[in-house]
Amino acid sequence: MAEAAPLWATLVLPLALAAAAVATAGFDAVLSASAERGPAAGPREAGLRALAPVREALRLLVQQPRRTTADDRLLGRLGVVLVPVAAVLAGAVLPWGFSAVSDPPVGIVWFNAMEVLAWAAVWLTGWGPNSALALIGGHRFLAQGLAYELPHMLAITTAALGAGSLRIGEVVAAQDGLWFVVWMPGAFAVYLSSALAMAFWGPFAHPVARDAAGGAAAELAGVDRLVFLGGRWLLLVVTAGFSVPLFLGGGNGPLLPGWAWTLLKTAAVLALLVAGRRALPVLRMERYMEVAWTVLVPVTLLQALVVAVVVLNG
Amino acid sequence: MFDDVVFWALALPAVAAGVMVFRFDSMARATYALLTSLLCVGGEVLLLGLDYLGVVIVLMMTIEMAVMAVFMVMYMMNPAGLMPMTMVHNAKGAVVICAAVLAVLVAGILLAPWPARRGEPSADPTRDLGLSLMGPQMLTMMTLGLALVATIVATVVLATRRGRYDRYGDDVDARCADDPVRGGTGR
Amino acid sequence: MDLSRALRRTAMRRPAVLAVTLPGATELRLEAEAEVRRRGWPVVDTPAAADLLLVCGVPAPGDAQWLDAVGGSMPEPALRVVVGENGRVADALDRARAELVDRAATRRPAAAVADVPVAPGPGPHEGHGDVHGHGHGTHHDSPPPEASAGPGDHTGHDMHGMQGMGGMHNMHAMGEVAGLPMAERGDDRDGLRLDQLHVPLGPALSDWPAGLILRCTLQGDVVQDVEVDHLPAAPGRRLPFWDEPWLRAARGEPVTGDRAARRRCAAHLDSVGRLLAVVGWEDVAARCRRLRDALLSGTSREVIGGDLRRTLRRIRRSRTLRWSITGLGELPAARARAAGVTGPALAADGDAHDRLLVWIGEIERGLDGLDDEGPLTPDDRTGPRGVLGGSRPPSQALLSLLPELLIGAEFAGARIVVASLDPDLEELTSAALSGAAHG
Repeated sequence: MAEAAPLWATLVLPLALAAAAVATAGFDAVLSASAERGPAAGPREAGLRALAPVREALRLLVQQPRRTTADDRLLGRLGVVLVPVAAVLAGAVLPWGFSAVSDPPVGIVWFNAMEVLAWAAVWLTGWGPNSALALIGGHRFLAQGLAYELPHMLAITTAALGAGSLRIGEVVAAQDGLWFVVWMPGAFAVYLSSALAMAFWGPFAHPVARDAAGGAAAELAGVDRLVFLGGRWLLLVVTAGFSVPLFLGGGNGPLLPGWAWTLLKTAAVLALLVAGRRALPVLRMERYMEVAWTVLVPVTLLQALVVAVVVLNG
Repeated sequence: MFDDVVFWALALPAVAAGVMVFRFDSMARATYALLTSLLCVGGEVLLLGLDYLGVVIVLMMTIEMAVMAVFMVMYMMNPAGLMPMTMVHNAKGAVVICAAVLAVLVAGILLAPWPARRGEPSADPTRDLGLSLMGPQMLTMMTLGLALVATIVATVVLATRRGRYDRYGDDVDARCADDPVRGGTGR
Repeated sequence: MDLSRALRRTAMRRPAVLAVTLPGATELRLEAEAEVRRRGWPVVDTPAAADLLLVCGVPAPGDAQWLDAVGGSMPEPALRVVVGENGRVADALDRARAELVDRAATRRPAAAVADVPVAPGPGPHEGHGDVHGHGHGTHHDSPPPEASAGPGDHTGHDMHGMQGMGGMHNMHAMGEVAGLPMAERGDDRDGLRLDQLHVPLGPALSDWPAGLILRCTLQGDVVQDVEVDHLPAAPGRRLPFWDEPWLRAARGEPVTGDRAARRRCAAHLDSVGRLLAVVGWEDVAARCRRLRDALLSGTSREVIGGDLRRTLRRIRRSRTLRWSITGLGELPAARARAAGVTGPALAADGDAHDRLLVWIGEIERGLDGLDDEGPLTPDDRTGPRGVLGGSRPPSQALLSLLPELLIGAEFAGARIVVASLDPDLEELTSAALSGAAHG
């Protein structure tokens, strides 16, 4: 059962998420640099390469923001800011070990609702600058949302079904013995893919893809760009981290304390995603949509059926 | 006291954003003003202790408005507000209708014999909602669900110009569909 | 305040680079890419993210306008460097960084340092490393260049000018807003009457054939119509970089087989890398670029062979990549032959993925020709993009096919089709080509 976290956890949460995001981005930068320039010559060079995201953030802070002609500043700004805000709000129900900043009785639905704010955020960011390529990027995310959201909802519903509760603390408690990933592999796989899609990152980065000069982010400069792209890393950390309480037993594990297990498992999931990303090109929704609706939706429905039968007979 | 503060802090923006829907001259802004208003309503529902319903309002309305904005921009005139435009048409008639509806609603609030509370509020309203939907109301919900799906399918079938004969040939026996954009499962 | 100053200096020690290539400057582009990569500077794909605009090639007078638009839509501290001569890139980048660090430290308004010639050079326009500052003000309000790259074209920016023609708004139908013309409407692919948007693609897009401009009519992101255009010819009389060995051999100059094989492999690796970058497989695209530069710099087959074959195998075996781009830009051999295509696009006889496989096959075969010290025969005129010396250069045929392949495609698909053909506009603009070929 989850305990209430102390008040200071509310203040620590964004900082902890940011630190995790920087670490993940650093790992990603090391792998990218080794593809670009060959393997690092030594630990010192690898360390320097891992610092690239920090340097990039500093550079964007120095850069001045800019505007485009006849833009919609209000909506554009709103979209940019909404990305990290959605990530942190979704992270509020993320349990560290066994305690979360908040553990409402409908925590899973809350998480889903906050991550859906990204729909609005990316589209608004693409709409704001009044530029063709940015708007194409924004629209791409809505298409992506329609493709990933249905299998995603069914996948997290399956985990809630297994625990018989929408409260995340109880989902974790239900995995005291057997982790959900063992008997819900389909839901877990679908969840991981939709976690990437929510964060529009890796194989699902089409909304901010290079072919559209950065898509929704095409016209962002300086701090705007930092908040938007940094928020994207936050979103990735939160969505990947949420797979731990849902499917990987949360803080459950031998020897180590709960928070350490959460940390280890989250790091493992993120490392898997960052390394695995290199095996795939970007998935375009014109192709993925059909797969999502005609393959993934039935897969998750079947998975939910299996879980329901097990729960009813258990 | 705290509840009162939260109530007003959500109610005023909800009404203000609702008004702004008709004041903005850009479809995108109007849509997202409507979303703001609905999100505040979701907050009010949360305040009532109906966690599930409140959060679901936030979830569904965000998706709905994000998609609706695209259609509004696609079909409506002057989506971005670069030209003067108004969201209000038939202003005189609208004023009369609105005033009449408001009067009826207010009269209803004041005149209706509101029942006194009987029993206790539920300990877990989410569970009760689920039991009600999947218990006594099951037939209603199932019928409603099927009707909605049927409506969606029928609307798409009526709206699309291309049917299966266009996609799979006159004998519907082509191996691959002839689509302007190829799908992902190779059918 | 010293700390913030130091931070600002540190931030600019690795400026983000947007590289723009003019036709005829392929060699410069390769040099610049290698140099920027060696320094570990971030490479960006939009002016909004860039600190430094690196122009490879000598701008023609007509280029000033779109280059100014690109430069003008960069955020402060925006700096432009023009490199017109091989071997000067490192020098130009050093100077640009010094200038950027200096500006960041002192927060000098850019207008005050506009047009300070940093590099010594014969003149402002033959510039080897001229550094131009770009101020705020009106420049920053100019349309985003990747959408309005054509000279004097501002229509790329009217995405929001989609006002309808209905009712009381008719009076505004022909109007302009913020200096941008409004959109008109037309029937789309699905029979809906929707706004049309005229967006020129190129020449400032990344991973795009240098100098190519496609004037697209978009509805949503579907290409309804396209007009192929390109930047004017470069003043130089240089041979097209990728075709150079064969053209030299045709002139009777001694060219080794090794040199030709390297050039062909590198040309295809460049194309493969750009296609993969557009498809969004950045990891493998980066490997292709690195291997391409290693090949051109003369790395021996023993050193590079294993790595190269592994990378190519990885591309060929990727089911996801096949699933992603198969069916895009279908070009049957008969149609290709009729259009005069002679190179890989003809041999592929299929879609974007088939063309990718042909490139990979040619690279693998070319790898065997490495270290071949025998001379290239003057009769061998099959360059990387087709037979040189015909009535028109191979890329001309590829360009002529673009409209029919692009119309009806979605934006992402259109970019993949262009990248999978990868026409080289140097072949068009180089007057030397036809002369050499017929001579």
